[in-house]
Amino acid sequence: MTWSLMLVSLIASTVTQDADRPLDEIEFRRLHQELNPRDELWKTIPWRISLLDAQRQAAKQDKLIFIWAMDGHPLGCT
Amino acid sequence: MLDRESTFADPQIIAWLKDDFVPVAFDQWYVRRQQDAAGDFYRKISGQGPRNNFESTTQGFYLATPSGKLLAYNNNRGPWRIRNLMQQALEQQPAEFHAEPIKTDDRDEQFTRDPPPGTVVVQVNAKVLGGYSDSDSTTNNRAWREIFQNAISRDNLWITQGEQRSLAKGSFPTDLARRLARFHLVDNTRGEPPMWKLEEIKTIQMTVDDQGHLRGSVHLETASGHRGFVGDVWGQLKMKDDRLTQFDLVVKGRFWGHGRYTEGAPRGKFPFAVAFRLAAGDDVADQVAPQGTKGWLDDYLGR
Repeated sequence: MTWSLMLVSLIASTVTQDADRPLDEIEFRRLHQELNPRDELWKTIPWRISLLDAQRQAAKQDKLIFIWAMDGHPLGCT
Repeated sequence: MLDRESTFADPQIIAWLKDDFVPVAFDQWYVRRQQDAAGDFYRKISGQGPRNNFESTTQGFYLATPSGKLLAYNNNRGPWRIRNLMQQALEQQPAEFHAEPIKTDDRDEQFTRDPPPGTVVVQVNAKVLGGYSDSDSTTNNRAWREIFQNAISRDNLWITQGEQRSLAKGSFPTDLARRLARFHLVDNTRGEPPMWKLEEIKTIQMTVDDQGHLRGSVHLETASGHRGFVGDVWGQLKMKDDRLTQFDLVVKGRFWGHGRYTEGAPRGKFPFAVAFRLAAGDDVADQVAPQGTKGWLDDYLGR
């Protein structure tokens, strides 16, 4: 086995170990931190969630409206 | 998820949205049905595009003037397509497009989902922890596949004032346990997920001790056995004056199966976790009603 293959195997083994690790205080803290996405670029966009609020702001500022309309809320369903 | 991580992470698109547009995001399932000013304005815009049958989905990106003139539309994914769409709208915008702000503030109560007074919002994030292979995907695009397979989903859980009082007394309310399981222990990392029916809760145990330690386990499974989740619960809560000040929780276990809009799951039983924490309140996404309230708020709240 080459060094690179051994490294890939080691990484895969570590990932599997984390995935299978039983839920205890340490695993709870690790996952709670891992599953908290921060610094996401889409959050820097000044989204509105009310179409009327968007229309009013656009009318006042003479701007165009950008509508992102999905099945399920684009900012929170998935 | 895919759009948030790709299109809306694009520097040019972010700059245009900040400077030249007013960006708004919503679930069109509601707005296209609403008999109120917002519904009227949306149907005016979307009715000028190809998706003008309001009996079915009208999803997509609409770029319009504040008077409601549609300038550009598509329902395609990818930053390059949205950049082209925005460029098209900016080139086509009239030199003058003054419009009056819509003053009517009526709301179609049938589609209104406000949290009851005293409700706290809990941020919910889920992730598939492993098990994917290259063939487990609805897309052949490598970059998009990686986004899907590493995705951390986002939803909100509502905990009512009465349920917080029960937690303060050391009791985990049955309605809250069922809500948490049915609507939030779902694999929503690849799309709009199916929720669990009440009868699909095989077992659920949630306890809280006088130190605020949350422990438990859950088993959810469809009648056919094609979709399920078995996991453990671990967490910590704190209260002040009958109000939650901390609700940190992780549910971790094995999930299997997928829904109509969540195809491409790993095969077999795969590791899956969901984390909960009080929403900071500084993110507009904190104001989005839980996906589980869709169409039936009372069912979500267990009333």
